[in-house]
Amino acid sequence: MMATDTPPLPDEGALYDGAACGLLLTDPSGVILKANLTFCRWLGLQRDDVCGTHFEKLLTTGGRIFHQTHFYPLLQLQGSIAEVKLELLSATGERMPVLVNAVRRDGGAEVWHEMAVFMARDRHAYEKELLHARKQAEQLASAKLAAEQAAQDRGYLAEQMIGIVSHDLRNPLFTIMLGAASLQRSNLDDQAKSYLGHITEAAQRAERLVEDLLDFTAARIGHGIAIECKPIDLHAVVAKCVEGLRIRWPGHVLHHLSTGTGTCLGDSRRLFQVIGNLVGNAVAYGDASSPIEVTSCISERECSISVHNQGQPIPPEHLSTLFQAMVRGTDEPTPSRSVGLGLYIVGEIARAHDGTVTVSSSREAGTTFTFAFRGDVESGQQADARAAPAGT
Amino acid sequence: MNLQRRNNIRVGGSGPATMVFSHGFGCDQNMWRFLVPKYEEDFRTILFDLVGSGASDLTAYDRNRYGSLRGYAEDLLEIIGAFAEGPVILVGHSVSAMIGLLAAVEAPERIGAHVMVGPSPCYINDGDYAGGFSRADIDGLLETLENNYLGWSSNMAPKIMGAPGQANLAEELTNSFCRTDPQIAAHFARVTFLSDNRADVPRLAAPALVLQCSDDVIAPRTVGDYLAKRLPRATLRLIENTGHCPHMSSPAQCIEYIDEFLLTLDVGHDGH
Repeated sequence: MMATDTPPLPDEGALYDGAACGLLLTDPSGVILKANLTFCRWLGLQRDDVCGTHFEKLLTTGGRIFHQTHFYPLLQLQGSIAEVKLELLSATGERMPVLVNAVRRDGGAEVWHEMAVFMARDRHAYEKELLHARKQAEQLASAKLAAEQAAQDRGYLAEQMIGIVSHDLRNPLFTIMLGAASLQRSNLDDQAKSYLGHITEAAQRAERLVEDLLDFTAARIGHGIAIECKPIDLHAVVAKCVEGLRIRWPGHVLHHLSTGTGTCLGDSRRLFQVIGNLVGNAVAYGDASSPIEVTSCISERECSISVHNQGQPIPPEHLSTLFQAMVRGTDEPTPSRSVGLGLYIVGEIARAHDGTVTVSSSREAGTTFTFAFRGDVESGQQADARAAPAGT
Repeated sequence: MNLQRRNNIRVGGSGPATMVFSHGFGCDQNMWRFLVPKYEEDFRTILFDLVGSGASDLTAYDRNRYGSLRGYAEDLLEIIGAFAEGPVILVGHSVSAMIGLLAAVEAPERIGAHVMVGPSPCYINDGDYAGGFSRADIDGLLETLENNYLGWSSNMAPKIMGAPGQANLAEELTNSFCRTDPQIAAHFARVTFLSDNRADVPRLAAPALVLQCSDDVIAPRTVGDYLAKRLPRATLRLIENTGHCPHMSSPAQCIEYIDEFLLTLDVGHDGH
């Protein structure tokens, strides 16, 4: 026997009217036949006003079009539709975002639609934010893409310009040097000779710069720096180069050291360029009172040329970017360097030789750049032996 | 480009003449399922999805080509050219009625007759012309589409709660009808509801049946009257129906009027 004072649970009718969502029953065309109190309360309407109204009339105009073109056909085809987001207009004209589920019931003679309506204000606000964020992200992405493209175009154009300009500079430079050479053979007073010396030196410097720029453009937008490898006597090549550099920088002491013997494959003109660049750096950044050492080294595995100087070490933070174009090992401008192409070109020449260029720098040991390449070394005997058979 | 795949073209039925069915905005060729079986008995039938809708090839959706209804009209002519012989009878719902109009102005010999279901040459009110909407209303529609963006994009197939009394559809329900990429839907909505084809209306030489619903929020009665007056060879028939899809909610009534219209044409409809 149950004897209890607890109030009875709500019956089905009360459950329907007080449900935590709007519940509707419409005819197949969408005219509302029944509506629970929750739905009516949300809209601020009496039940009598809601019933008899077409569901569509409670929607925003955009929602009506969507209802007609998508919601209704889907309900007809599938017999159900869920989680469609619409906005209801309340009696006061307030827009209420809702999610709607609907089922089409076919009772034989009668067809009707049952709908459940859920308030979705928070979800609506959240989705607005999501959409807003998405739009912003899309805008940022497209702006970034455009900026990247523009930068790429500018970069490409600049590199092309460098190539074209430096190529066209060669002709007037050649004319200047040819004129200077002719003048040298005529009778000049000392002052004129001195001027002529400056002119020649400046023209040579400009020519080297033009060559650097051409190499740079070839490496950056062409197929890399071209080399022509031949069997060479590395020590002799380096010795000859160092000899020339001694004349160029009479104020500095240059030593040439060599180890190992054999013939290797390399492009001697490019190796001149490498040594010239590295020694130029040693002159520019090294301690002028200490000698610069150029070492050529031949072993069975590889050949190398290293250039060593004493003086201020290269700041460690610069080591990783040293071989990139337009980067210098120091922030101070120096008179003997113009643009930071030298080490980049050295790096590219190393690459063309299937080799590497490395650097070590410290206060105690000084700074050493090492240009190493395979060189396909043949020892002296092997080279002799190869040459010999023809005679025996 | 594979036309069949691009427009998900389905050819059925048999008969001396061909009927082409073109769906409207927001749905796909499935909306013809209450109408087409009847016509498959006497006609060759061609159903397809507009590019960007249903099971069409979404990668073919080029915003320039489909930036106006002309792109769709070109598609329609391509489909007729490839899949039909002789002039066809075009049944176009809503925006497709206007796509058919544009196609017919372009190539009048291809379309012998038009059945326009809930057509509107212009949705926006303009002076004396009552299209039914203001520009702000159309912006509201675009907003509603955007609001349904998240629901559509994460799982484009609408959730299914069961389809009582339509058990034969159960298998298909695992796919979705009227599947739409939300961004394409928004673009298509813009193109559709901002279109104005009134200038082409008087240029339609072929006979046209206008099926006007008695209570249609998208194509109000005033629009049907406008078309009946300006189309050179129009027949206006009013269907007692609330809504924009009489071919789904009142298919029998539609069939009656279409049959009546077909009998007035010189086509291979032997009549029953």
